[in-house]
Amino acid sequence: MSVEETLKKIVTRVTRKPETAFSPEASFEDLDADSLDIVQILVALEDAYDIEIQDEELQKIKNMKDFIAYIERKIGEKGK
Amino acid sequence: MGNGKALRGKVALITGGSRGIGRAITLRLAEEGADVIINYFRKKSTAESTAQEVLARGVKAHIIKANVGEPEQIESMFDEIEAEFGRLDILVNNAASGVARSALELDDRGWDWTMDINARAFLLCARRAAGLMKNGGKMVSISSLGSRLVLPAYTAVGVSKAAVEALTRYLAVELAPRGICVNSVAPGAVASEALKLYTADPNLPKSAWQTTPAGRMVRPEDIANLVAFLCSQQSDMIRGQTIVIDGGLSLTLLNPEAKEN
Repeated sequence: MSVEETLKKIVTRVTRKPETAFSPEASFEDLDADSLDIVQILVALEDAYDIEIQDEELQKIKNMKDFIAYIERKIGEKGK
Repeated sequence: MGNGKALRGKVALITGGSRGIGRAITLRLAEEGADVIINYFRKKSTAESTAQEVLARGVKAHIIKANVGEPEQIESMFDEIEAEFGRLDILVNNAASGVARSALELDDRGWDWTMDINARAFLLCARRAAGLMKNGGKMVSISSLGSRLVLPAYTAVGVSKAAVEALTRYLAVELAPRGICVNSVAPGAVASEALKLYTADPNLPKSAWQTTPAGRMVRPEDIANLVAFLCSQQSDMIRGQTIVIDGGLSLTLLNPEAKEN
């Protein structure tokens, strides 16, 4: 499963939104994700990919496309 | 505590023990000779770094990932402790989280999240820990001044900490015949990363420092010293108490001479 597919499943499960609400252009705000949702999303992603997401780096992420790129970079760094 | 190793040979679990106040407690108990189990939630690299600092103090370190808000993860954590160490002498219930909302803005999920991690986890950890404390033991919880005072957007955390303090009293009596001492500490504003997360007032660190009679904010190391004392034999006759450690801050809240900014 691609990072985008995994992220879509996790985000829509946590925010209780239909998968159609997810798009690469959507921000956490667009998805009505509050701080508690975001923590749960981060934990699920960290467990899924065995990575560590730095909370402060999330400030730079504007939408899901940025987030996917960030996660892919973290996965790539892990392999090094 | 003196120059000796008051906790030599003891096995201690510190929930949320990898950073902030938890890290300071972990290192302090290690300095006193305890082997430490560091529970962490997300940051394995931080837990590993703290574990290295523990090892440098000549005692054992063991890290366990678990979200203490999830009962099954608490069970797994204690299963691992039982398998690795066979017993536990000290439980420090430190892990905490919270949703920063006023009472009327707080939703059910935020309430449950906060109560599960801060209050229910103490009960579940205490239950398993008591079973591993074959020769008595010590339990110390980290509470907060917000259990008794009203702080901005602190409803869920404040109420959860009040529950921790009440549970401390009940457990202290129930576990006394088994030689287990149970106490809590209630810090005021502590100079730590968590303060930024839990307060809606960005000026709190500054104002807390200026109105603290002791002349500075409480540091994680101050709390660690108190916890180490409560984990030692020297505190055996203190039971079910919540000890405020705030440099006198809570004494001045109604003091008209206290500076406001």
